[in-house]
Amino acid sequence: MPFILLIFSNLLRQKIRTGLTVLGISIGITTVVALGVITHSARASTEEILRAGTSDFSVGRAGSADLTFSTLTGDDAEKLLAYPQIEHVSGVLMAISRVGSNPFFVQVGIDPADLTYFEMPLVDGRKLAAGAGDEIMLGNEAADNLDAAVGESVEVREQSFTVVGIYHSGAVMLDGGAVLPLATVREYERKAGLYTLLYVRVRPGTDVEVLAARIEEEHPDLATLVDLSDVGEVDQGLEILDAINLGITILAIFIGGIAVMNTMVMAVFERTREFGILRALGWRTRRILQMVLGESILLCLMAAALGSLLAVILTKLVVLLPAIQAFISPEYTPDAFLRGLAVGIGVAILGALYPAYRAASFSPAQAIRYE
Amino acid sequence: MSDGREIVIDVRNVVKTFDEGHTRALDGATLQVRRGEFVAITGPSGCGKSTLLHLIAALERPDSGEIVVYGEEITRRRDLSAYRARTIGLVFQLHNLLPNLTAAENIQVPMYETDLSAGQRRRKALELLALVDMADKARKRPAQLSGGERQRVAIARALSNDPPILLADEPTGNLDSKAGLRVLEVLRGIQRQRGVTLVLVSHDPTIAAAADRIVRMLDGRIIEEGASAEAAARVV
Ligand SMILES: Nc1ncnc2c1ncn2[C@@H]1O[C@H](COP(=O)(O)OP(=O)(O)OP(=O)(O)O)[C@@H](O)[C@H]1O
Ligand SMILES: [Mg+2]
Repeated sequence: MPFILLIFSNLLRQKIRTGLTVLGISIGITTVVALGVITHSARASTEEILRAGTSDFSVGRAGSADLTFSTLTGDDAEKLLAYPQIEHVSGVLMAISRVGSNPFFVQVGIDPADLTYFEMPLVDGRKLAAGAGDEIMLGNEAADNLDAAVGESVEVREQSFTVVGIYHSGAVMLDGGAVLPLATVREYERKAGLYTLLYVRVRPGTDVEVLAARIEEEHPDLATLVDLSDVGEVDQGLEILDAINLGITILAIFIGGIAVMNTMVMAVFERTREFGILRALGWRTRRILQMVLGESILLCLMAAALGSLLAVILTKLVVLLPAIQAFISPEYTPDAFLRGLAVGIGVAILGALYPAYRAASFSPAQAIRYE
Repeated sequence: MSDGREIVIDVRNVVKTFDEGHTRALDGATLQVRRGEFVAITGPSGCGKSTLLHLIAALERPDSGEIVVYGEEITRRRDLSAYRARTIGLVFQLHNLLPNLTAAENIQVPMYETDLSAGQRRRKALELLALVDMADKARKRPAQLSGGERQRVAIARALSNDPPILLADEPTGNLDSKAGLRVLEVLRGIQRQRGVTLVLVSHDPTIAAAADRIVRMLDGRIIEEGASAEAAARVV
């Protein structure tokens, strides 16, 4: 029998204890993996917004607590247009409010003229016309939820709008929301002259990274958002989510570690005599350590597998809630699962160190006499 | 007697105390065992028989005195695990088999310290099971075996790394006389056929009588040595 099977068969000696320990640890791992999936998906949704309309990068107000709190003015747009590499700047004012069953219905206010740069791929109808304050383009998800078609009217913020087009951008939050004339959104948000984000289109051949870095250097009050790692500059909510994620991971390692230690201490102490016999039969300390550590790692790998499975089920269930469905669709990247696995192995090693040390230090002669 | 053969176990004036010196388990014990010999150790409970075997098996260190096995003082050996695994085979009063493993798997336990492959380990375990006449019980777990059968599996396990010395501490102590005699037969067969040196502790005079030589202990010393009646009878 291979050594690994010997280790496995030791775990099967106390099936209920092994099962309960696996279950206990797997709950911690579920939390870690599910949170990882949700954090990643939330970041992805935010990134989709920052990348909307096939712009090269976007610019927000540095240090905003949340993306929707970012406020920029026409002056900021002028600062950007002063760079010769920049071809066009589209200013967008975003608002979020309940529309229909979606509590986080995103409204993108944009000057209809900018829609040639800020591309929202249409699946039906046309773009907003210049000067028409009561036109609306709906995302395909929003159109489904509101059961609205081109030519029909919908109510947003107690105003009636005529649906002129339906788009599908691939961004969860935008497809669940709508695009409206900038002036209209500014009016009902009472944010005259303000933007949330500026979407920048550069001239061909421009190095976006270099330009973005220069803008930030020359205008410290602007945050240029080139990739996902920049998101924190205008959305501290995601940073907080990351911090919570890390906190829960550390907590899961400690709680799991104690659970594993408890189980392994029991498993080792009830086999005192057995470890002594193994030593008497010529097993090295190292092999005893390997066996105890192996039992612990195997236990935690089972927990990691179960925890990952539960996390997938949990996240699939969670997005059935309309509030969550509106702004994330779960993305299962290897990262979240690797983190779960790392927690499992961390827990296994943390929990097994002391029991393994004890098992290896049982004196064989004492153990044989011990009845 | 086997005087011509080399001395493989040489216990010289060994003292072993417990409880910070309050208990003198061995008090100047001296014993020599020759290659291939079958020595039985007897004596009243508490006289130090198990302690002597444990010291020879390097499970504990003596306070003073020397134990030389195959010409080397064992406490000076660098790798005691290798000595326990390869030079000594141990059989205890209780079989001490692992309850979750089958008979064949239990026999393989000491072999994890060798570089045999899983297949080689298995083959060897089956051979050893046949040697102790348990070939048909390879897949049984200890709980499914009788006391005598368990003890025979334990003997096969002790032989798994082909040690030249077999130490048995009351291997028949928990068995009825029939099963005990069967275990004795197996041990003696191994000693004769394989040339293994056998040191066996037993209270039972009929078991001890099967040895080449009987050693009597009292209060941590060897008080009498002599050819067993049976051995003497064989010489005549
Ligand atoms: N670990 C220990 N701690 C304290 N005392 C011990 C220990 N091991 C042995 N002793 C004592 O040493 C003495 C010899 O014990 P040992 O087990 O060698 O006797 P024994 O001859 O094998 O007896 P038995 O026939 O009952 O098995 C006894 O008095 C015993 O109580
Ligand atoms: Mg004893």
